[in-house]
Formats: sequence, C-alpha cells, structure tokens
Amino acid sequence: MRRTWFVILAALALALAIGPGPEAGAVSPEELPGWMRDRTEDHLFYKAAPYNFSVYSVPQLARDLNGVAVGHAMAYEDLVTGRDSELETETFERIDRVLRNPPRFMPDEATIGPTFARRFGALEKLFDWAHVLHAQTIDVLTDEALSNDAKDAEIERLWRFYLDSAPYTITGLPLNMDFLWSQPESEAFRKKYPKVNGLFWGYHWLQTSMYDMLWRTSTDTHVPQYELVGSRYHELELYKTDRDFMPMMGETSPRFAGRFHEMANAFDNLHMLHDMVNDVLASPELDPAEQDRRIAESMGKVLTSTHADCRAGEGEPGTLHDHRFPAGMPGMGMMKGSDEDVMYMSGMGWMNMSECAHCSVRLPKGNPWGATLSMEGWTMTVRCLLCARDMATETPGRGIVRAATEDPARTLVLIGDEEGNWTSSIPEVVFLETEGGDHPECTDWSRAFTSREAFDSYLLRYPEYAEVAPLDLAAWSVRGRPTPETYQKIDRPNPYRTEEGGEE
Amino acid sequence: MTRTRSVSKIALWLGVVFGLTVMGPSWALGHEGKCPLCKLDLVQNTDSLDYEVVVKVGNKKIEYRCIYCVFGDQKRYKTDLVVYAPSEKPGEPVVLKRTAGVWSAPDSTVFLNSFAKHKTCATESRTFSSQHAFDRYVAKRAITDAVALTLDEMLVAAAERKE
Repeated sequence: MRRTWFVILAALALALAIGPGPEAGAVSPEELPGWMRDRTEDHLFYKAAPYNFSVYSVPQLARDLNGVAVGHAMAYEDLVTGRDSELETETFERIDRVLRNPPRFMPDEATIGPTFARRFGALEKLFDWAHVLHAQTIDVLTDEALSNDAKDAEIERLWRFYLDSAPYTITGLPLNMDFLWSQPESEAFRKKYPKVNGLFWGYHWLQTSMYDMLWRTSTDTHVPQYELVGSRYHELELYKTDRDFMPMMGETSPRFAGRFHEMANAFDNLHMLHDMVNDVLASPELDPAEQDRRIAESMGKVLTSTHADCRAGEGEPGTLHDHRFPAGMPGMGMMKGSDEDVMYMSGMGWMNMSECAHCSVRLPKGNPWGATLSMEGWTMTVRCLLCARDMATETPGRGIVRAATEDPARTLVLIGDEEGNWTSSIPEVVFLETEGGDHPECTDWSRAFTSREAFDSYLLRYPEYAEVAPLDLAAWSVRGRPTPETYQKIDRPNPYRTEEGGEE
Repeated sequence: MTRTRSVSKIALWLGVVFGLTVMGPSWALGHEGKCPLCKLDLVQNTDSLDYEVVVKVGNKKIEYRCIYCVFGDQKRYKTDLVVYAPSEKPGEPVVLKRTAGVWSAPDSTVFLNSFAKHKTCATESRTFSSQHAFDRYVAKRAITDAVALTLDEMLVAAAERKE
C-alpha cells in the first residue's frame, strides 16, 4: 500500500516542485512548493525489509537513538509554546533525564511536540523522511544476515528509494556549510541556549559517529564498540558547549562518508537544517510569520529540487550553489576557512583528508585502505597499522582502530584501553611490521592478517620481507616509533575563533 | 613486484622529496600536537633545552607542554605513571613516578612553577635536577620571584591552581 501512496505523493510533489534556486543566496517564498503549507498528516514508513529494527541488536545504541528523538521534540515544542525562557534550565533537565533513561521504542515526535508539528508540518515531514533513511541504514548495518557487500548494495537501494519515493528530499550534494551558517540569525541558538545546542550537536555526533562504527565491521564488534562510543556520548559529547561547529559525517565517519557521499551529504544537510531552524526560532526579533517564512526558506536551501541542475565538485564558491568538497572527502561540503586541500577539524586542527593523519603521506586507494582511529571524539584515517597504533599511543584515553586485512570482507577491530592495551575482533590476528621501514611504503610493511597462513602467503609474494617475524597482538601492542619525519602540521589559526582556544 | 607498483612507489617518493624541498619551514618534523590539558601547541625540544614532558602510562606515551600540565591532568589516569620531565640538560630528563597513587622523585629534584598564563608554561613550569641548576636557569632568564619547590610543594601548587 505504501508504494502506491508514495507514487501519489511523488506525483503531487512533482506538480508543485520548485525549479532550480537562484544563483547565489536566498530562496524566495514565491518559489517554495505548495506542500510547505500542507499541515495534514502523511507519515511515510520504512521500506519493507527483513532487516528493519536490527538496530535493537545493539540495545543501548537503539535506546540512545530513541532518546535523541525525544530530545529534539521536547526542545522544539518548548521553543514554540512560550517556554523558551526555560530551555536552559527545566527543558534541559527534562531532556537530560530522558537521555539518561532513554525509551525502549522510537517515539512519534509529533506526539511530544504537537504544537511544533502543527505549525511546521512540512518541516516535520522533511525531517521525518530523512530520519527514516537514517534509521534504515543503521538497521542494514546492524543486520547479522547480510554480507558486507549486500549491505552496501542495500544502502544504495535505500538512497534511491528515498530519492524516488519521498515527494521531497534533502539534497545529496555537498553544500557550503559556512554559507548556510552565515544567515542573519545564524548562531543565535548556540549563543542563547548553549547547553541545549550542545545536546543537539551531541545527538548529531552520535548520529554521525555510528556509521564508521558499524560499516564493514563484524556485528559481534558492535556492542563492545558501542560500549566505548556510548560512554563518550553520555559522559562528554552531549555536554560540550565549546564546539566550533556541528559534527560532520566526514569528520566522524570518514570511511562511510567517502563511500556513500551523497547520503553523508544529505545527513549533514539535514543536521544543518536543524541548526538553521533553531537559529530562526531563537531570534525574537522575527515575528511568527517571519519565522515561518525564514524556516521555509531554510528548507528550500537544502531541497534536492533547489539544486536539480547542479553537480558535486562544482559551483560558485561561498554561495548556495557551492558544491565543492575538500580533497579526499566528497561526503562533506566546504567548511569555514577551508579550501579544496584542507579544512579545520575540531580537536585536530587543520587537516588534509586525503592524507594520513599521522604521517601526512597520501592515503592509499583500494585495498589495503589503511585504518581509522577513533579517539577523543574524532575519527581519523591513517595509512597503516603502525600509524594507527602510534597515534593512539600519543593520545590519552580509550580508542578504536578499524583496519584493513588481506581479506577485504574482514575488518580488524581493535579496542584499546586507557593504557594502550588492545583487544582484537580477530583472535588469531598476525601483524607484519618491519624495523626501520620508510613511511611512504608503510602500507607494504605494516599490515594485519587474519591468520598465520595469510601472513606466510603474503611473504611468499613479497620476499623482501621474508626475514620479518610475525607479531601477535601482545608483541605488536608494545612496539612504537617516533612520529614519522613525514608528519606535516598545518599551522593556521582556528577560523571559528579570533584567537586560538586554550586555557589562559 | 610489478612494474606498475614500482612506478607508483617511485612517484610517491618523488612527491615526498619534492614536498619536503619546496614546502620548506612549513614542514614540521617531530612530535607536534596539542597538550592534553592546556590545548596549546607542544613546544619542540631544541639543542640547548628539552621541552616535551612525556607521561608513560602502560603502552602509551602522552606528551604535555609542561610539568604543571602533567600534575594538573593526573586524575585522568588510574594506574601507575612514569614521567620523563625535561631537566636543565637536553637528553637527561628527571624521572618522576606515581606508584599506587604516591609520587616520588630523585632527592635533589626541585621545580619551578611561576607561570601566570599557559603561553609561558613550557619555560616557567619546569623540573631541575638540583637547586643549583634551578638558580642558574632563573638567573639566565631573569625570572623574578622564582621559588624552588619540592615535589610535595609542586603537587600542592598544581592542586590549588584554578583553571
């Protein structure tokens, strides 16, 4: 029944659809489609699939995501019902109680925020449909029956389903985040409600970080990985009030964002729409009618139809149709101060995402793709296991390494404790690491294998390493070398602050 | 090794060499990063003086900007620590230990902790192997009102500082 319903709605939307937006800047109300004034209920439900609700195989993640929905709805409802003065106190505490005791099932946000849903019905639909896409991709990734390749194919199908079936969608093109957050009311919400804004950005940290945690990693690693990720979410990420910008998919899940860049961009654009809406609602100088108009304009800025004739990698810099992206990261729009080569990343400084975060040598393409390291809220891509381990060794706290092995279907997941002791998702893992190897070749001499047989097979093909002994996890863990001499630090100030942050 | 593989490696090497040549001073060698406590840049060791304070915790080696930052951040760590604190001599750090929660240092160790803002902590929060070395250091840098602190006094000073 849903398919028929989708087709009808899609046809209606097509009839009402707006054309390409203006070259640079505002979307005028006259150009907005009629559905933006439609307040009727028209929920869309999940694409029918056997993997639906597999997220509950990672129970705490599922509940935390349910809590996010409640948090969004409570804040919005209080903002539009005259309780905005309580947002940083009573509302924050009420939301925090829910986040600490999240619901077992996903709530209908309209029942928590009925006033907001009535006033901004079209916005709720736009949010809701993208949230369904969000949820179903997580269901795919947590499903125990599908292979990695089958999951990738299904995620592609979900993206097409979203574009083809939803009457109006959020664009998968990269958008210039600096432009979108340079509206007259931008930053109003963060400045006025820093604690609740911290919650919103904390939700978005979780919603973006979970992709690399789940993508192409064995399902039996998901619960132990989330023990670390979820702890950080609850202890730190929800309560940060000093972030420079909302978390981006490319920053927190660079592997997924690189592979599914349209979807990653859509999620970033969705999160930016949340910020733009928040800023409008936090601007008392705008009367309700003007707020409605500005929110409709904000929706227009991120719609697929607004950017119908545009292509990724092109566009006028610093405008609504700036669809460039940083080098190596097609799943992310341009950020404040960034150019095609480098961008500023919270917690890391200026980074080139096409280079190893530890040795600054260009990242490899194909397999082995290297590894990622998740620590302190960021996830960085590195060229090899040595770079991952040594970067973790230099960084306080617990961490997760996700690394390529000789088998593209098996990702090694290492979870490290506060002292740099690692546990492995592959008990029989064997490492190759030469003494004194040069970093531009580290993908050859620093590798992980799923078995001793695979290690021996590799050495037969590369006899230059025939004398190198295999390392087990314990032996590999205690090795370490100085930061490689190829490491390049990009010395530029934080573009979000007039002076570099830090204790004074 | 295939021909393609060799060519790509040569190209990669040439790229790195070219980069090192043309990028000049912007290519930084060594342990660059931020201090986990004060978030300011780590100061690199020089021929005449070391700056990087290294905390060894298990397999990890975490670098701090000054000895105050180590003491100020020590609650982060639950287990035993070994601290390699730069002294007045390059390559000869004073080794401090926290064992079962109790700090220890060589008998003659003294500390300088006179910085007002973290911008100067790397030069004004330091460890010395002796009172004599401390006196020479503060005289050379004309650090006024400098007081040589014992380990216990340094720990108290670190605990009392409001950040």
